[in-house]
Amino acid sequence: MTTSPTLRDLAAELRERLAAVRAGGAGGSESARAKHTERGKLLVRERVDRLLDPGSPFLELSPLAGDGVYDFDAASAGIVAGLGRVSGRLCVIIANDATVKGGTYYPMTVKKHLRAQTISLQNRLPAIALVDSGGGFLPMQDEIFPDREHFGRIFFNQANASGQGIPQLAAVMGSCTAGGAYIPAMSDETVIVRNQGTIFLGGPPLVKAATGEVVTAEELGGGDVHARTSGVADHLAEDDAHALDILREIVATCPERPPVPWTTVPVEEPLLAPETLYDVVPTDSRQPYDVREVIRRIVDGSRMQEFKKLYGETLVCAFAHIHGHPVGIVANNGILFSESALKGAHFIELCNQRRIPLLFLQNITGFMVGKEYENRGIARDGAKLVTAVACSTVPKFTVVIGGSFGAGNYGMCGRAYDPRFLWMWPNARISVMGGEQAASVLATVKRDGIEAKGDTWTSEQEEAFKDPIRAMYDEQGSAYYSTARLWDDGVIDPVDTRRVLGIALEAAAHAPVEAPSYGVFRM
Amino acid sequence: MDTLLIANRGEIARRVIRTARTLGIRTIAVFTEADAGALHVREADHAVQLPGYLDMASIIAAATDNSTPSSTGVHPGYGFLSENAAFARAVEEAGLAWVGPQPEVIDAMGRKDRARAIAEAAGVPVVPAYTLEDDPATFAYPVLVKAAAGGGGKGMRVVRSAADLQAAQEAAAREAAKAFGDDTLLLEKYVERGRHIEVQVFGDSHGNVVHLFERDCSTQRRHQKVLEEAPAPTLTDAQRRDITDAAVALAQHAGYTGAGTVEFLLDEATGEAYFLEMNTRLQVEHPVTEEVIRVNGERADLVELQLRISAGEPLGFTQDDVTTEGHAIEARVYAEDAWGGFLPQAGHAAYVSWPDWNGARVDHALESGQEVTTGFDPMLGKVIAVGADREQARQRLVHALEDTLVLGLTTNTGFLRELVASDAFRDAAIDTAWLDRTTLEPPATDAAAILAALAESSFDLPATSTPLSHDGWRDGGAAAPLRPVLADTPALRLLGPARVETAGGAAVTWGEELREPLAPGVEVVHAAVDGEWLYGVVRRDRRGAEVVVAGQRTLFARHTADRDHTAHAGDGSVLAPMPGTVLAVRVEAGQQVTKGDVLGVLEAMKMELSLTAPFDGTVTEVACATGAQVALGAVLFTVDGAESPA
Repeated sequence: MTTSPTLRDLAAELRERLAAVRAGGAGGSESARAKHTERGKLLVRERVDRLLDPGSPFLELSPLAGDGVYDFDAASAGIVAGLGRVSGRLCVIIANDATVKGGTYYPMTVKKHLRAQTISLQNRLPAIALVDSGGGFLPMQDEIFPDREHFGRIFFNQANASGQGIPQLAAVMGSCTAGGAYIPAMSDETVIVRNQGTIFLGGPPLVKAATGEVVTAEELGGGDVHARTSGVADHLAEDDAHALDILREIVATCPERPPVPWTTVPVEEPLLAPETLYDVVPTDSRQPYDVREVIRRIVDGSRMQEFKKLYGETLVCAFAHIHGHPVGIVANNGILFSESALKGAHFIELCNQRRIPLLFLQNITGFMVGKEYENRGIARDGAKLVTAVACSTVPKFTVVIGGSFGAGNYGMCGRAYDPRFLWMWPNARISVMGGEQAASVLATVKRDGIEAKGDTWTSEQEEAFKDPIRAMYDEQGSAYYSTARLWDDGVIDPVDTRRVLGIALEAAAHAPVEAPSYGVFRM
Repeated sequence: MDTLLIANRGEIARRVIRTARTLGIRTIAVFTEADAGALHVREADHAVQLPGYLDMASIIAAATDNSTPSSTGVHPGYGFLSENAAFARAVEEAGLAWVGPQPEVIDAMGRKDRARAIAEAAGVPVVPAYTLEDDPATFAYPVLVKAAAGGGGKGMRVVRSAADLQAAQEAAAREAAKAFGDDTLLLEKYVERGRHIEVQVFGDSHGNVVHLFERDCSTQRRHQKVLEEAPAPTLTDAQRRDITDAAVALAQHAGYTGAGTVEFLLDEATGEAYFLEMNTRLQVEHPVTEEVIRVNGERADLVELQLRISAGEPLGFTQDDVTTEGHAIEARVYAEDAWGGFLPQAGHAAYVSWPDWNGARVDHALESGQEVTTGFDPMLGKVIAVGADREQARQRLVHALEDTLVLGLTTNTGFLRELVASDAFRDAAIDTAWLDRTTLEPPATDAAAILAALAESSFDLPATSTPLSHDGWRDGGAAAPLRPVLADTPALRLLGPARVETAGGAAVTWGEELREPLAPGVEVVHAAVDGEWLYGVVRRDRRGAEVVVAGQRTLFARHTADRDHTAHAGDGSVLAPMPGTVLAVRVEAGQQVTKGDVLGVLEAMKMELSLTAPFDGTVTEVACATGAQVALGAVLFTVDGAESPA
């Protein structure tokens, strides 16, 4: 038996992967980066760093998106997105990486841009776009252009966010071609860099093809043209640094944050060091442990106030604080039974009534199955939990700290339930069921079919059938497979969980909380 | 004397008030509108506003209107009316006591030719001189041409050959006529390397004259003293005796009363000292004498001596009672940019702090919040250090200058500190022309940049952390370096509590507890950079940060988005702003133009509009002719801003 890697090992691997995509300041090849900087342009991560207030933290969204999805290198899906402070205000920053495929949008780029916009919308945070993009990635136009959640949705979101008073700002720091031209054009206030940024619906090659007119990019849609003549841009910057300074001053004119919609208390650090998470969480999902060990290492003062501690014990429900913000924590401590589902639904209602944000710590193989449980109506009780989760109006945050399988994913606020943020730990697994179970289910179905025809199926044949299924589930269940496809907002080091949640709570505190209205709870 | 009017401002007015107060004498200050509320005004018992500090009638009226003239003195300080014989006479004629020598002595000593004649008559050696009638071919060059009236370097020319003499004379005469209204010139031997030695003398109205030893003021820039010390470090006992005897002889010969200073030029090549001039007032640098002189073993107050003599009292001691103890050095703090051509500086002294410890004396008139204008002498104060010996005094002066903080405007403090710390000054190797031929290097600004960055960065340490704390946090990776929004400051990376690293790799120990607030927006910041502790005073506002480290002030401008685009606009097309008629075309293609030059004139809507070059460059196209009707937006001229080949 081989020793499985520890959580500490997995965290170290995560840090290596993150360092790799962040190394060099941008995701492109060394030559692409050199070509970029030779033009006097800052690399995408330098741009973000300079835009942020000095020392501001930056919570990056899905830095490992796009990894292994395509037959080309798509570091961070060609777009850096995240949350940080600009002129004192927490903002969502969306910055194209022109060193990756010229900053063009392929499906994961679009998905990531839309996801960042969603975070801006849900949390009412100003969105700042640092545009340096050749527009849509033409070879994959069918996957980026026509559908509801495709390129056009970016501008739909900009219009509607602006309509809700959420500032939409842009700096054009490179190409901004075709559909991309609408990013600055749809922004509330736009900066363009002279002799560097260009905005046009059709670039010089297209113009030549269409009308025969020969024109340079600068004449067609350069900084001077847009700042002096067309009015498409509002501010002319001399270089990247100047453009970022202008953006910072623009943000300073935006309204200050609204009051926090819940009551905060002074911050206390946990009594137990977050680093000890590595020691208390086993990476083998079959090995049980008490999830309270995790909670104590995340919450203020390592203190929690449990609800129905003695009832439905496989689901821990507790009130606590994280960085001074109140949270209601729903954490798996075993398989979900009817009682645990009922307890969870009750607790979620309490949190909604009290305007307390919800934190789901997912480590769930699913709801209990079997005749007794089905006959007693576990589906009905599970539905109550799902209804409570789905209809919650307080901000929800999900961290997958172990397994996320089957209907457990739904009851524990998976991606489909619109948590404000969802993160994976590097040990997390996500799939409709475990690989072994899937292989067994499929093998049983197949065996039934074979045997119905009177044929036989040897156990060797069955294993040969099951192996590729197991392998597929193994690959697709990994946190990296998930994050590459933007099923989450990133894989995080467990020791960062408290800080990440703290930033998320700060973000969520920018939006008011509506009164909840639930669907029918099947009794 | 029961009342004293001080016909001066600034530090010297405060200095005189201090002694008068000690002696129980009521003081009247005078001030102009610009000085309303100044320190000397607040410290005096009574203050009178004047139209100007040179307005003699108003000053005398201020004294006579506010006191009993027969028991009132007028102290002129230095500068202003201190060596104005007419003023001295007017004071005496008003029945007031003049604190200074007799008007006729002021007159005599105020002219270099007459002073020289008095010196020669008293047997005091003078610089070999020639008359304008002498044959220039016989002169021993170099020769100094100087104005008979005046001083301050005006009307002075060094001539190194007979061929250059004529032109130098003419130039000096012109300058002298302009500055002093008198173009009389003197010609004398020019001493290449000399030391400026001056002797403090006092005479009373009973015929007693003593000297209070000498000062060395060789550290000068363009004849303006920068550092002064007592005793003179290079004099032999014989030289000291000769020079002080000569000074006393001169004062006796002139029948001198009050405080005076006899200046000598000591030729380093020959060791001979020549009489230069006599100053008939209290000198700026009198504190160094006060700090080292003992009269019967006690310190002497030179202002007190002046007042007693003016009241007719005898000196009350003889030459044998005068001794010296220790060493004192004075540095003059000026509002000037010593590293940038010594240009005078003005501004709002946002925060001022002078050294305040045993061994450092400060005579100043600058406090926090004061406006410094270029309307008066740029001297802000004098920092004087005293020690058992010269080296101790020098080291104390270095520290005192490091403790001299003037924030808000540029001063020469950092320059003075470098100068006092220099090997040349330590070795007393600075002659009167040294500063004019030597360029000092400004101190490195690395430490200031780090301190500015630290103060600006305001790291939140873990104890007070919030999720949005400014610690450069990044998920799953090392913290990002913190880049201050200040020009020329290093990015910093927070490594852990109290540990920071600069972009240049320097390890910095730092923490909130190492910041001491001094005033709103002003703080002392301490840090250890690569193990070496340093500190500076940092003041920050929306325009940037200024840091004073070791007396040197360095500015770090805050980045702003505010930039001027017009200087290099991209398009050189000059378009018709309205439809109209071209009235004139003023340029041809190929012509060089500078920004703002009128290229042509357009008449439109009954107005004449000048069409100007948008920037410097070459006219590459003239696309219109006089009388032509042009449409809105027509290109009339094109200017190429590219630099033409030289």
